[in-house]
Amino acid sequence: MIAVLGLVIGVVVGLFVQPEVPDAVVPYLPIAVVAALDAVFGGVRAMLDGIFNDKVFIVSFLSNVVVAALIVFLGDQLGVGSQLSTGVVVVLGIRIFSNAAAIRRHVFRA
Amino acid sequence: MSLLTNVMDHSLDEGYAEAAAARGGDGPYRIPGTVRGLITLGAGLALVGAVITVGAVNAHKAEPTLAKERDALIHRINDANGSADHLQQQVQDLRRKVDSTQRQALAPGEGDPAALAGGVGLAEVTGPGVKLVLEDAAGTGAGGNVDPRAGQGFSNSGRLRDRDLQLVVNGLWASGAEAVSINGQRLTALSAIRAAGEAVLVDNRPLVPPYTVQALGDGPRLLGAFESAMAGQYLRLLQEKYGIKSTLSAQKSLTLPAAVGVSLRTAQPAVPETSPTGAPTGGASGSPSGSPSPSAPASSGPSASGSPSPKPSGSTPAKRSPSTPARTTTSPPPASSPPAKGSRPSTTTTGSSSAATGAATP
Repeated sequence: MIAVLGLVIGVVVGLFVQPEVPDAVVPYLPIAVVAALDAVFGGVRAMLDGIFNDKVFIVSFLSNVVVAALIVFLGDQLGVGSQLSTGVVVVLGIRIFSNAAAIRRHVFRA
Repeated sequence: MSLLTNVMDHSLDEGYAEAAAARGGDGPYRIPGTVRGLITLGAGLALVGAVITVGAVNAHKAEPTLAKERDALIHRINDANGSADHLQQQVQDLRRKVDSTQRQALAPGEGDPAALAGGVGLAEVTGPGVKLVLEDAAGTGAGGNVDPRAGQGFSNSGRLRDRDLQLVVNGLWASGAEAVSINGQRLTALSAIRAAGEAVLVDNRPLVPPYTVQALGDGPRLLGAFESAMAGQYLRLLQEKYGIKSTLSAQKSLTLPAAVGVSLRTAQPAVPETSPTGAPTGGASGSPSGSPSPSAPASSGPSASGSPSPKPSGSTPAKRSPSTPARTTTSPPPASSPPAKGSRPSTTTTGSSSAATGAATP
């Protein structure tokens, strides 16, 4: 219940407050979104596996976002930003897909 | 491949398994039981929702911005193209201006050399004008069949002489003729009308009578001016005294050929001054119609009036000599033939006096 409430609050804040994103951070926002999705799917799978831990979830989410943004930032400074962001998206995408497959097995038993 | 398998196998954060092992096997653990755990989960999910929403909103907002930037770029490209076209147009205009200025500078006051060629005599010209046909008196040789080289010389008074032709041509120039040709030979500023042997030569080509003089100009006005001027009176005198027939008629359209063997050169006077005699200062391409005209009647007038009968009937070379010095004053140095040579035929008396230069010399 509180999980749904938190999610709704977050969406509402994002939609209506529309915090001004600093220009320096804007290029890393898509990567941060992908990292957040990865954390969410991992948390849902852990919950279905019966091993969910709220602390682990929060820490993994924050670290995922920060590390992904940092990798892309480093790539930008080295001149390989687009390649590195592609790599990050590929790795996180694979994790999202396998977590989503595990969730599907839990939900549909197939 | 190990990297990919690793990614596939460990898709779930290993922290979950560690936390579960540390907690011990007390059954499945789904939702945090404590209030603190619930708040942490709620805050985390709120953060996740905010990040995802902000990202989506940002991407949504960036789309029109990108389109706007593209539009602005397209606009700038179009602007630059337009200004480039404008500059191209300017370049063409300036180039045209440079061309015309150059042409003006090269031939001051006269336009380009190509336009000059018609007046100078290097191009064929067409227009209204006057046609004058001069025929030797009957009995001096059967009209056009006479061989100029086999004649008996100018001692035969019924024949038209080179000086008569010079006077006629100068009279035409003075009356406002713009171009003159004799028997199809165009006269230029360098043309000479002279006699050699028994023949009248124009530019060293012998003429065969009848002599057809064509002059371009304002037909009737040119005709009137010529007839009332000294040259016209002279022609009437020739007809009365010697039977040299002259037929003068205004023509609607005459075509004068271009002179051959002359090249047009342009030169600029170092000091632009207007010479009173109108003699060309810069070079050979002075306007032929203007320069000789003012001095022609003035210089040769006294000689004609002083000797009302320059060709007395049955004249001998000796009898002619008194009029010769008066006339040669209008000729350049080569024509300074002394009267002592009067015993000879008059080929030397006229030397190489040219129609234009002879009259232009004061």
